[in-house]
Amino acid sequence: MRNYELVVIIHPDLDDEAINGALDKVKDWITKAGGSIENVDNWGKRHMAYEIQKQNEGVYFLLNTAMPPEFIAELERNLKILEPVMRYLIVAK
Amino acid sequence: MAEYENTRESGDQERGGFTRRYTPKPRFCQFCSDKTVEIDYKNTALLRRFTSEEGKIRPRRQTGTCAKHQRKVAAEIKRARHIALLPFTGGTWEEKAR
Repeated sequence: MRNYELVVIIHPDLDDEAINGALDKVKDWITKAGGSIENVDNWGKRHMAYEIQKQNEGVYFLLNTAMPPEFIAELERNLKILEPVMRYLIVAK
Repeated sequence: MAEYENTRESGDQERGGFTRRYTPKPRFCQFCSDKTVEIDYKNTALLRRFTSEEGKIRPRRQTGTCAKHQRKVAAEIKRARHIALLPFTGGTWEEKAR
């Protein structure tokens, strides 16, 4: 188990339900892989420094998690596929 | 012969002036002097001070950061860029929003 910081940017045009749904999916993956989520920080909708997928805004979430390192590759693959996620960043702490 | 020496002398002078202009003011690394400040990609207010107006990472000779911390600053700026907290290039988002 290692501590990781995960930032996901979710598409701003989605309603709250879809945003939370996507977030729950990510959380679900982590807990199923034997990880834990210590904290979820919602930064809300904020302007991005440049356009991503023709959007000027994004909904930012910061997750402080503990995950097994072998799981990172799988998580990245899943995040790339998950439609509402525009960008993600995984940082080992 | 005299002419040749003249040009060389003026060349030396120019080079002297050049290096003098680039001599940095005595500076210190602000992260070494204040160890409580953590360089983090989320702290955009701090990282913004280490980028030029067009978004480039400012060199050490301008900011006075030591080599160790400059590497850290550069890495964190690149992380912040990836999640669109900082621009790769061009103006800040405040300008774009308006």
